[in-house]
Amino acid sequence: MYCIYFLLIVGVKVSAEIGRPRGVSISMASKYEPNDQKIFRCLDGSGTIPYEHLNDDYCDCADGSDEPGTSACTNGKFHCTNAGYTPKNVQSSRVNDGVCDCCDGSDEYEGKIECVNNCKELGKKMREEQDEKRRLQEEGFKKREGFIAEANNMMEGKKLKIQELEKEKTELQDKLKELEAKKAEAEGPEKEAKDKHEQAWKEQKEVRDKERSAIKAREAFDELDLNKDGFVDVLEIIPHMEFDIDSNGVVSEEEAKEHLEDNEKVDFDEFSSRIWGNIQSIYKKLVPDDQKEVPPPPVEPQGETGVPAPTEEPQKSKLESATSSETQELLPTSEDLFPPEVQEDAVDEDKMPEYDEETKALIAAADEARKNHEEADKRSRDIDGEITTLTSYLNTDYGKDKEYAILRDNCYEYTDREYTYKLCPFATASQRPKAGGHETNLGRWGRWENDYKVQVYDHGQNCWNGPDRSVKVHLTCGPEHQLTNAYEPSRCEYAFDFITPCACNQPPQPQDKDPHDEL
Amino acid sequence: MAATTIRLSYYLCCLLLIVQVHSVNRDNFKTCDQSGFCKRHRSMQPGNSPYIVLMDSLKISSSQISVQLLNTKTNVRLVLDLYGLQGNTARVKINELEPLKPRYEIPVGDVLIGEPKQQDLKVLDKGAGSITLGLEDNKIVVSYSPFRIDFIAGEEPVVSINAQGLLKFEHFRKKPEAQPEEQAPANPIEGEEKKEEEGEKKEEEKKPDNEEEPGLWEETYKSFHDPKPNGPASVGIDVSFPGFENVYGIPEHAESMALKTTKDTDPYRLFNLDVFEYELYNPMALYGSVPVMWAHNEKSTVGIYWNNAAETWIDIRSTTADKNFFSKIADLVKGNTEMAQMDTHWFSESGVVDIFVMLGPRPKDVFKQYAALTGSTELPPLFAIAYHQCRWNYNDQDDVKNVDANMDSFDIPYDVIWLDIEHTNGKRYFTWDAHKFPSSKDMINGVAVKGRKMVTIVDPHLKRDDNYNVYTDAKNRDMMVKGGGGEEYEGWCWPGSSSWPDFINPEVRNWWASKFQYSEYGGSTPDLYIWNDMNEPSVFNGPEITFHKDVQHYGGTENRDVHNLYGFYVQKATAEGILMRSNNEQRPFVLTRAFFAGSQRFGAVWTGDNMGEWSHLKVSNPMLLTLNLAGITFSGADVGGFFRNPDHELQTRWYQAGSFQPFFRAHAHIDTKRREPFLLPEENMKIVREAIRKRYTYLPFWYTLFYHGFRSGETVMSPLWVTYPEDKSTFEMDDEYLLGSSLLVKPITEQGSVGTSVYFPGKDESYAGSQNTYVNAPLDKIPVFQRGGSIVPRKMRVRRSSSLMASDPFTLIICLDKQGEASGDFFKNNILQSSNADPSGKGSTKEWVEKLIIVGYPKLPQVSISQLMAIHSLYITAMIVTAEC
Repeated sequence: MYCIYFLLIVGVKVSAEIGRPRGVSISMASKYEPNDQKIFRCLDGSGTIPYEHLNDDYCDCADGSDEPGTSACTNGKFHCTNAGYTPKNVQSSRVNDGVCDCCDGSDEYEGKIECVNNCKELGKKMREEQDEKRRLQEEGFKKREGFIAEANNMMEGKKLKIQELEKEKTELQDKLKELEAKKAEAEGPEKEAKDKHEQAWKEQKEVRDKERSAIKAREAFDELDLNKDGFVDVLEIIPHMEFDIDSNGVVSEEEAKEHLEDNEKVDFDEFSSRIWGNIQSIYKKLVPDDQKEVPPPPVEPQGETGVPAPTEEPQKSKLESATSSETQELLPTSEDLFPPEVQEDAVDEDKMPEYDEETKALIAAADEARKNHEEADKRSRDIDGEITTLTSYLNTDYGKDKEYAILRDNCYEYTDREYTYKLCPFATASQRPKAGGHETNLGRWGRWENDYKVQVYDHGQNCWNGPDRSVKVHLTCGPEHQLTNAYEPSRCEYAFDFITPCACNQPPQPQDKDPHDEL
Repeated sequence: MAATTIRLSYYLCCLLLIVQVHSVNRDNFKTCDQSGFCKRHRSMQPGNSPYIVLMDSLKISSSQISVQLLNTKTNVRLVLDLYGLQGNTARVKINELEPLKPRYEIPVGDVLIGEPKQQDLKVLDKGAGSITLGLEDNKIVVSYSPFRIDFIAGEEPVVSINAQGLLKFEHFRKKPEAQPEEQAPANPIEGEEKKEEEGEKKEEEKKPDNEEEPGLWEETYKSFHDPKPNGPASVGIDVSFPGFENVYGIPEHAESMALKTTKDTDPYRLFNLDVFEYELYNPMALYGSVPVMWAHNEKSTVGIYWNNAAETWIDIRSTTADKNFFSKIADLVKGNTEMAQMDTHWFSESGVVDIFVMLGPRPKDVFKQYAALTGSTELPPLFAIAYHQCRWNYNDQDDVKNVDANMDSFDIPYDVIWLDIEHTNGKRYFTWDAHKFPSSKDMINGVAVKGRKMVTIVDPHLKRDDNYNVYTDAKNRDMMVKGGGGEEYEGWCWPGSSSWPDFINPEVRNWWASKFQYSEYGGSTPDLYIWNDMNEPSVFNGPEITFHKDVQHYGGTENRDVHNLYGFYVQKATAEGILMRSNNEQRPFVLTRAFFAGSQRFGAVWTGDNMGEWSHLKVSNPMLLTLNLAGITFSGADVGGFFRNPDHELQTRWYQAGSFQPFFRAHAHIDTKRREPFLLPEENMKIVREAIRKRYTYLPFWYTLFYHGFRSGETVMSPLWVTYPEDKSTFEMDDEYLLGSSLLVKPITEQGSVGTSVYFPGKDESYAGSQNTYVNAPLDKIPVFQRGGSIVPRKMRVRRSSSLMASDPFTLIICLDKQGEASGDFFKNNILQSSNADPSGKGSTKEWVEKLIIVGYPKLPQVSISQLMAIHSLYITAMIVTAEC
């Protein structure tokens, strides 16, 4: 499947040209001057051809340099002099294709089309336009200089403000330390007093709990000790179904014995010291058969009243009730479920007594210290916020010379047939229907593109079945800041045209005018 | 364009509908089970045809026999007409002997280009059980009881009709009195309940001579009621291809080229529909229908054209031939080896059985035979086979101007820029949005100075607006299709409430054609051409997104009878309008989405709303091959894919593939990102530009291909078996194809692929014959190969548009075969004018041959100066130049 390409050269067309060959610019003319051997060397050095093969409408050179005046080489260039206007190099494929590409008509010498030489008119118009543009640019550029100065002032102002704030912050740091120390100073005794008070209460409570537990152990012992022999034995355990470890419905001797820590029987001392602790959580008072409660019916979720079944209430421990009362504020419905009087009974018993006056005073002093510290701390954080905002403002890229800073905090609108578009530079872009309706976010400030000629606003409101909306703002030099056009080249990808003096560069000096004019 | 997206925006408030957006909604389209006649035909069992031939009624004339068929169960009589036609073709027509009223037949001259030329039939044998007729070298055996017809080409049975006994012809009948009235449910009940009810009904009504079955007198699909005023009228019959393992054709389906057995699926359906985000590789109906099928094996190629425009389903089974039977009717089938056979079963909702049997015997013969019936693809104007730049939508004149300028500044050639529906004043076709396109002529002329054209979309739905003169004109002339009750039919499409001109009516077509006169279509110029979309037709709120079946057309026909022809007529009328506006001087160009057999005569077809996904790039090849096989050679798929955003690699590969497909247009949905080729990253842009430029260099070759297609009905994009009919390994190959017989194309359709295995057919040509070879194909390479022994004409001076290259010189690429020879030809005429397609005339041109590139030459050619000079002066005077090496 190898292929060998042979080219049969099939045409010789000698063009009789005076001076340089057709399609060659003056600056290149020397390369096309005939030498003694009448040999032309391709400009890329890739080969040589006889002079008469120049512009013979057959492509010889790889770089197309032998056919500057025909369409034979696909990569060739044809030079139009365009006297009176700007010279131009066009692709060789535009030579003699029936379309006038050069204003002097030199690209259409075969006569497929009659091209009118309008270079003079174009040149005149171009110069007028250039003058106008230059005028605009000069005016704009002056304004731009002003904007830059203004921006620098503003920036300086912001920098100063930052300095001020930083100074305040430094001062505040010392004050904060001081206040923190005061706070710590006040909180130490406060804590000590509170701890003391609470510790005392805790001890008191423990004693009480112990007493209660002993009473309960006694009660249980007495209840268990059915034959009142001063011992609880295996047989006395067996009737208590709560000791049925394997849940087979029967309390075996082994199971009973296990609850008695492998004793056949225990006296009260042993019971209260070794046994009760293990069984008090499961132990239930034995109820005589005839008084046995019918097991409560399962609580049906669609209960008519929404009030919990009465059987649930005794199961709630007092502690849980207390917890409930603490969360009462968060759960207003709990008030309905647990009427207040029930709670108060429950709470009172375990409630810690109020702090004594001395402790109260210490707490008040600590509160004061905390408040002072908090205030200073807040101010410090506010300062941080302000500095961040200012820094972000200062760190935003407003162009090479900060020339666009002036646009910040301003908004500009453009209205077409259907919508009013709004651009708030360095912030947002949006649109709203002219007929009224809510505003659509087209994007938030994103970045510069294309050497400060384009601003991108992105991550706007998502399009149904499409991307997030975004806007490209094309900035060009103009006399005022003005949004001049808004369009949607692709669904939900918008483009704005914005003219502003900020985009006016220094106009070229007049002596640079028309450097390439050829005659 | 998609039907459903905008429809959704009308009903945006309904969240449920939004959910449907991301894939085809199968619920919108009927399955066979939901179609009464499909179910009735499909449930038939092979064997035991009740039909017998009544020999007493036999009438024989020189090229025709006519005989009655009797249904021994119902006693209903049919009449069979069998015609011999020129070019190894026969026609089998079955109609009712005495129908209550005429059954619909497509007017001759519309799909059939004329009354087919007849060919003598010789009675070879007239026995007690059958009659044998001779048609050129073929034999046709008509067996009496049961009725069947067998076609024997040379010594081989190739086509059998009613061999399975599936002929079912629902004769027109009077609606049973009272009963159906009573039974017509006030509230149509769907699903099981209804079935049960009908089951009971069936039990009660069972009569020996009545085929009373469900869905005969009315049907309900979703919320749509079909009153079926004519009752059951479907027709169906089986066609077998003994000795064949592969059948092809019956577009349009998103399917492989070799058709699949439908044992475990629905039958292939032909019913022109606007399917939103269609699924690949299934038998669901799409936008167009061509009921033509080919069977091909090493020995012969045959096929049938089913001349019926109603909804049609086709079942396909792969079986073995009944050698017992064939040994009786012909002294052939010998030996014990099994003979393969393809059984197909065709059924249409109304009309008649009208089968054209084309007996080949070679692929190029059947294409010619089919072209003799329905015509060939008109030679497109040159610009139409160049590159087209389309998008829904170029927003305004500035947008068009900018795209045009960018294409030039990136040096990417293009010929046509297209405007979709948004260019109009509120979707009123033949108008312009005055704000976006205030001076359309200036815009068109702006591109036309560079030899370019524009295309605007003109859809058949007319906005019901009394201030819209196209609508009021049609309304005042009573030209709209009517609803079942005789009122002007109203449905929803792009403009909202719409009505549709009745294109079935020739007067309406003339009226429509007149709308393209420059005086009528304001803002148009000779450089503006037309695109018909939504012409299935698409009706957003209609059953299956189209017309109700009882919509009334011209001549007392229902849409049921002519559905698949509507889009065909829209394009026909449009093409006639474009021809008329130039006083018949310039060849028209009209793109259509809906089509039927014969649509090839009016312009190009594209594969509708595809997706920007690799799978859709891949399926474009089999879909276009099948369209080519069905005569629609000028066809393409939206480059890049219509929906979704293809990545850069996919776009690049798609451009490469599209540049070697017949109709080459990039298109994109309005919700996609802009993707004109100059927006691609530089690397991809350069590759895409190269692919487009390559297309331009090959335009003389393409033009010649289309010329041959026009003359002979040949495919332009061809399966390998068309040129290598005996190479069995090519029979199912649809990822690789030939252009003419000279270029072998294997587009890359896999993501990340950097190479592919290419099958090189043909043992006698210079590249490695009949084997697979791995070929590197990095992103910048399209695997395309020129056949040894061929000469391909090209023009290497690519300019901004094809017409700017009109007088440029040719370069001939000469690939020698093993004998060191090559031959080729090319065709040249006026690239636009219509009268110049005749090759007998001579003309002159400024073009010349600037370069011969000889590939595969064993040593440096000895070419003398005189030869060089001779070639230089080779100005072409003949229209066809045959070059040989």
